Amino acid sequence: MLALRLARGSRPLVQLRRLLVAAASAGTGFLLLYVLAGAVAQPAGSFPRLLWALIPLAVTVHLAIVVARADPATQPREGLDAAGLGPLRLTLVAAISTAVACALGAALALAVFLHLRGDVAGLPFDGTGAELLHADQPLPVAGALTLLGLIPVTASAATALALRPHPPLAPQTGLPWGIALTACGLAVLAYAGRTGGGVLAGWSLTAVGLALAGPGLAYACGSLVQAVRPGALRLLAGRVLQQEAPRIGPPLGVLCSVAAGALTALALRDRGGLPVPLGPLTWPTALLVTLCAAATLLTSVVEARRGRESGRTALLDLGAPSNVLRSAASLRATALLAVCLPLSWGVAQLTSLALTR
Amino acid sequence: MVAPPDNAPPDNDVLWARSLHYSHDGSPALVEVSVAVRQGEILALTGPRGSGKTTLLRCLSGQLRPQQGEVWFNSVPVHTMGAVVRERLRRDRFGWIGHEPQLLPELKVWENAALPLLLAGASHRSARSAACEWLDRLDIGGFARKRPGALSRAECQRVALARALVNEPAVIFADEPTAPLHRTERALLLRALTTAARSHDVTVLLATHDEATAAVADRRIDLLDGRLAGAAIAASPVADTTEDQTACSLSA
Repeated sequence: MLALRLARGSRPLVQLRRLLVAAASAGTGFLLLYVLAGAVAQPAGSFPRLLWALIPLAVTVHLAIVVARADPATQPREGLDAAGLGPLRLTLVAAISTAVACALGAALALAVFLHLRGDVAGLPFDGTGAELLHADQPLPVAGALTLLGLIPVTASAATALALRPHPPLAPQTGLPWGIALTACGLAVLAYAGRTGGGVLAGWSLTAVGLALAGPGLAYACGSLVQAVRPGALRLLAGRVLQQEAPRIGPPLGVLCSVAAGALTALALRDRGGLPVPLGPLTWPTALLVTLCAAATLLTSVVEARRGRESGRTALLDLGAPSNVLRSAASLRATALLAVCLPLSWGVAQLTSLALTR
Repeated sequence: MVAPPDNAPPDNDVLWARSLHYSHDGSPALVEVSVAVRQGEILALTGPRGSGKTTLLRCLSGQLRPQQGEVWFNSVPVHTMGAVVRERLRRDRFGWIGHEPQLLPELKVWENAALPLLLAGASHRSARSAACEWLDRLDIGGFARKRPGALSRAECQRVALARALVNEPAVIFADEPTAPLHRTERALLLRALTTAARSHDVTVLLATHDEATAAVADRRIDLLDGRLAGAAIAASPVADTTEDQTACSLSA
């Protein structure tokens, strides 16, 4: 109840972020139900499709974690701490509110799915949905609920795990692992060729590798920006980037890998063959994954900005012009773009070479 | 700049304020406060918590614009300046030490100290040498390449002092600078501040609620309930209102 009370009293931007989690969860839930219905109607080859559907699930869980971490309701606060609600119990609060948002989304997905199949009250859209969603076969209730329950359970478990009090890792530690995993992913893509499972495994490895390498990349970016006799602007931009690298690095890496995937798809479309793993819902799924990755990065940036609030006040007290702070922010964004765009493009080139050799 | 009108303050006052009013969301913080600060003096603003010391410092340093009244710095009106000009004035002519060191954790100690110079566009080399010089004078030169996280509270506060002094300001505003420190560290910091102020002819406004700290000043102004103390006592129904006696009755 406390989780709900804390959730109810928060600002519109925070509510919007929770709404985003619910929407992502709804999209993922719909996709899982679609894969389930497809598997009932046509069992052959349904397992790889289910595995593909795990990508939006993973991205949704990532978004849920970042939103929960940025949520003011889950920050240790003096008032709550004095009332006996310390960091550990706040983790519980965060897990519960994440579960509520995801469960709402999943329930919405179920309602929309059943409505489009015509199971609730007549068929909307002249029955186009009925054929697409295999309305002729009954939906196994236990399977559907299990798949939908997967979203809130994994999201809240991952949130609890991510928010538990633990010492921060140095951003550079992930870089070698990230590079190694990305290389492995590209190798898998090259060897496994164009079989569905191979592409999935290769891309997942690349994505995990880039996510691991993200903090190191952001840190390196920051080091470059503040290198060689920096003035105030480069100093503020670079050092903040170095400090925020552990926070914004992982979502940056994920967004890079999504961009690499999109660029690969474009390159492959030019050369003919394009694997469409999820049937007609592939493009909506790609859109969902992209939006989730972008929302995750934006939320991390907002969270990082809030973490620097005291530094910002200190600078303004010193009489720092506010346009210096704004220029520092845009310099950071430019530096990250300048590293991430070529990186995504390079990974995409290698992937498409591997897939069309 | 606007030509000083006839009611401009006397020339020997570096900072001059007349009948300042300021209220935070309706609760009055400053009522009819007038202050004149002479060049090179150390002026203590004393009074209990909530008596308006910080608000007065923020009004005088141009961080807040008073809702009524005037603030003049070196015969230039501060209360009519735009936000950008006030920022530049704070950066170039004023120094600020708060009760928290307010250092940026991602910058090294010397970079924190050199920040006002770097923000003003000084070259890396000259900013660095000026900052290191002040850090050496304040006996924390050895920490110049460390991050503030590795320093103790007292050392951080001295870095904040170096940052306030590095641009050779005309006025330093010190808002309870010794509040988080123990007595020995407090005495050291005060001595450093007063020595630097005397040797560089810097005017210091020192807000404090501690009698021992106020004793280092040349002159003191007492604030009570947002008014100058004489006025406050005249306005108060009980003449000897002190901090201990203003506690609300819990039995009500």
